[in-house]
Amino acid sequence: MWSRVRGWGGAAGGSCRLAARLLAGPASGREAAGVARLEGRPHRYRRLPKIQKLFSTSSVLSTEKDGSTASKDSTTEVASKSQGSTAETPKQKLLDLIGNMKVEVSYRKKLQQLKTREIKKQATNKLEGPDSEGSVLQKTTEDVQRGKPLNPELVEAAAAVASSLPLNKKQTESELLAQLRRHEETTDKQKKGGTINIRNVISEMAVKRQSPAQRGVRISSRISLELDEDGQRIKLERLSPQSFDSRRSLKVGGRLNIFTKASTETENTLKTVSSPTIWDLEFAKEIAAITAQPPRNGFEEMIQWTKEGILWEFPIDNEAGMEDDAEFHEHIFLEKHLEDFPKQGPIRHFMELVICGLSKNPYLSVKQKVEHIEWFQKYFEEKKEFLQEI
Amino acid sequence: MAARRLGGSSWQQVVSLSRRCCLPGGRRERYRCSSSSTALGKTVDNSEVTQEEIVLPRRKTWGKLAVLQTLASTVNKDPTAAHYMFQDDPFLMPRNAANSRLFSLSKESGRNAAKYIIKQFPQYFDKTFAEPNIPCLMPETFTPQIEGVSEEALKERIHLRRVKDSVDLFDQLVQAGTTVSLETTNSLLDLLCFYGDGESTPEKEKEEEDLEEPGVNASEQKAPKRQFQRGSQSSGSRWRENNNAERIFKIMPERNAHSYCTMIRGMVKHGASAKAYDMYIDLLNERHKADVHTFNALITAVPYLKERFLERWELAKVFLNHMAQQEVQPNLLTFNALLKTLRRCGGVGRSMSLLAIKEMEALDIEPSLATYDHLLFIFYRGADLCPSGIISEVLDDVEKRSFTPQDPDDANFFGTAMQVCCDLKDIKLAYQLNKAMEKGDNWKFLDMDRLNAYWSKFFSLLCMMEQIDVVLKWYKEMSPSHFYPTPKNILDLLQALDAANHLEAIPSVWEDMKQLGFNRRQDLLQELLSLMSREQHPEEIQLAFAKCAEDIKAVYEQSVREQALLEWTGSALGHVALLFSRAGRTQDAWNMMERFQQINRIPTDQVMEEFLNCAKQTNCPDEAIKLVKLAAALGLPSSQRLKSRTEKEFELSEKQKKTLESIKSDSDSSDSDSDSDSDRE
Repeated sequence: MWSRVRGWGGAAGGSCRLAARLLAGPASGREAAGVARLEGRPHRYRRLPKIQKLFSTSSVLSTEKDGSTASKDSTTEVASKSQGSTAETPKQKLLDLIGNMKVEVSYRKKLQQLKTREIKKQATNKLEGPDSEGSVLQKTTEDVQRGKPLNPELVEAAAAVASSLPLNKKQTESELLAQLRRHEETTDKQKKGGTINIRNVISEMAVKRQSPAQRGVRISSRISLELDEDGQRIKLERLSPQSFDSRRSLKVGGRLNIFTKASTETENTLKTVSSPTIWDLEFAKEIAAITAQPPRNGFEEMIQWTKEGILWEFPIDNEAGMEDDAEFHEHIFLEKHLEDFPKQGPIRHFMELVICGLSKNPYLSVKQKVEHIEWFQKYFEEKKEFLQEI
Repeated sequence: MAARRLGGSSWQQVVSLSRRCCLPGGRRERYRCSSSSTALGKTVDNSEVTQEEIVLPRRKTWGKLAVLQTLASTVNKDPTAAHYMFQDDPFLMPRNAANSRLFSLSKESGRNAAKYIIKQFPQYFDKTFAEPNIPCLMPETFTPQIEGVSEEALKERIHLRRVKDSVDLFDQLVQAGTTVSLETTNSLLDLLCFYGDGESTPEKEKEEEDLEEPGVNASEQKAPKRQFQRGSQSSGSRWRENNNAERIFKIMPERNAHSYCTMIRGMVKHGASAKAYDMYIDLLNERHKADVHTFNALITAVPYLKERFLERWELAKVFLNHMAQQEVQPNLLTFNALLKTLRRCGGVGRSMSLLAIKEMEALDIEPSLATYDHLLFIFYRGADLCPSGIISEVLDDVEKRSFTPQDPDDANFFGTAMQVCCDLKDIKLAYQLNKAMEKGDNWKFLDMDRLNAYWSKFFSLLCMMEQIDVVLKWYKEMSPSHFYPTPKNILDLLQALDAANHLEAIPSVWEDMKQLGFNRRQDLLQELLSLMSREQHPEEIQLAFAKCAEDIKAVYEQSVREQALLEWTGSALGHVALLFSRAGRTQDAWNMMERFQQINRIPTDQVMEEFLNCAKQTNCPDEAIKLVKLAAALGLPSSQRLKSRTEKEFELSEKQKKTLESIKSDSDSSDSDSDSDSDRE
């Protein structure tokens, strides 16, 4: 287990300390979570899950960790809400950011002591691990920090911040780095005074919200069998300029801005104009073939047969194959067609017999039946004279 | 329930009609008596009082499939049964992927053969037995009914998709000086461009006939065949220089936008992309507007027009801008074509594809599965894997919707997505994907081949990531009914069993392997044997293993039909011998030992030791002596040690002792190392 983790020791170095800070007391949990957020941010977010992996080995920490993630979520939400405003005052934000970074630095020594005590037994070899970056980070003291103000992590952080801003990225990044240098002194003071309100910083930070995607990554990396290889690869990616792929998401970013949305009316008119060509017919067939699967059971087979017209249609009645859309009563009750006939007498009697017969005839359509009655009407009309004679 | 409602309403109709038609009272009485429902009686009473006009409700129309669909939804899957299509004949129940493919294809080809006969000899099928007639069982008329040279005849031939006849007729018409209308010429161009003006070779004819089949009987077993045909079509009929389509296009007295568009589409379809582009330029010069399908085709052709990634993207953008200028609204297929092109644009594709997705969103075009498929390909098929951000967003979207097919590429999505899950080794995503696949009708996007590929990937991932009980549960549920495991799946399963220290399940896996027809695969046999013989197990398991070993031995020794005999390897022999000796089957083990000599292989020391142990346990000094003999004959360094062990551990008769002595003299001179070995012991 620990040999696996070693690969991560370096990358996770900074946050190890933070997590150790969590141990110091639950009261500071929220602050620490904020720091963890800031700390985590400059790196690819994939790092965080690995850190948790690291700490999940120690049962003491596991409960603390849950608490911290919860608070982290809440802070990020606040932060994402204020994203708009921070974009407008990047300088203010930078100041805060830098201050915060240095606060974190101030904890380093203390935390390192804490941490070494914590994991001395297992992890002494961690320091000599093959990961050069990690060992540098872990050995850094405050003095080293001062002598070399631009910690590579900070540079990276600056790059990350720059990339998240809507402004010119390169410019922002160099500005950031300049700020880092310029405010070295100030941060020292702040560090000593320790008066900075981290909560404010957090609330003003434009922290990328942890999406379910990232959570997925955490899960995936937790179960990844090839932790070491993975770590290696991710680190390489992190150093490459293309490293911001991970920030890509379907939800953010601009559009092509080529088309404008058309009103639905014009679409409709376009559709109705042309009759289907061979292209359309064949395309429809191709599309239909994609999802045309063989039936999975007898009923589905019967559905298919019904569609092909092989099977009687359910519900089975005596109207199969009858094309006319006439209703039952139109076939049966034909009295309404007798209004033009005499109300009584032999003709009426005869016609009632006719419609009686027609109503029982299933082979004629309604139209044919009506025609049949009309024929008699015409016939009797023509023969009216003779009939009256009789 | 519904039937009763239907009945009720029709009775209501009867009653109200009887009132309106002013039938004699007696008849009305009869109707009322027959209506059993008291509610109806009430309405009649009311109507008598108020004399209101009653509006007849329309008859309820039933979906003809409603009943069947309801019934079908009650049927669950039987994890132990093969697919429904195989259930006609238990003898033809497929046991492995090859069989199931063969059987389903033969079933479908039988169907096609019948159709072919009906089509070839329609004169024998002129009786209409069914009432009402079933058109899909009757031969269709493919012979043109209209004789003579006229535009009507041409139209009919175009409708019947007789490529060559149509062209001939068109030429005759033109030669006779008749002007063919623009519309008819355009539909002739459609026909020619669609089929790429293919020659009327027999295959071509057949293919045409296939395409002409009514859509209703497009049952799925056809899908692989269809694809094959499509493939052959696109590779077979390339766009030829000056073919009939081009010729007719040139001699057309007037051309409209449709003529240009169909030419462009035909050229793109049949691989003449550069020509299509030129044609598009001509169209612009003539101040026509292309339609959306043409633009879609042009966008698909972009990778063939430009070499470099950036140039490709620029050209695609040019087309999109032209669409906007010509006020052509893009559709889903436009964006799918764009993404398909971006698949071949490397890094440019990654950033641009997201912009394209946002554009779709802005235009309210819902992505189809093909959209997501392209997206996943763009992001996860590169040299380096991206983190899982995109795929998990895609899956979240997919989960929320149920899909209807809209793009021919839709079918690829689930396979691609599962591949990505495998590459990311992310079981959670895979579960999520599987859930989305089982939702609604989404499973229909996987035809048999794709289904097999999908499950095989999923299963490999499960073996890699999951607890062994979960793996075995999935295995039991999926194995014969959903898919047929590939050899790689079995290997993965064996490794999972090994990792979970669950080797006692191996005999059942071996049974499955025999079923699946993998019992002659060397790699699997090796893995199986080495896993079984690696450690000593409790006796029960050893017995079961020995049975497997016997099976495997039989596999090595029998030749099935004309297949070559499997060759014993030294390690396989050793493993089998080990398994026999551990199960106490001395005679079988000895048979294996003898085979070492036959095929000139050297058994390992472990095998020798274990065999000796076995001989000791079963008290077979003869076998032990034979072993020492064998070791001596093979010149093994361990022969001395074996010999001394035999001397010490067995109660040997005088004769046996003598034999043992004589062996010593054979090998003693040759091997001094073994002496020192035995001394040490």
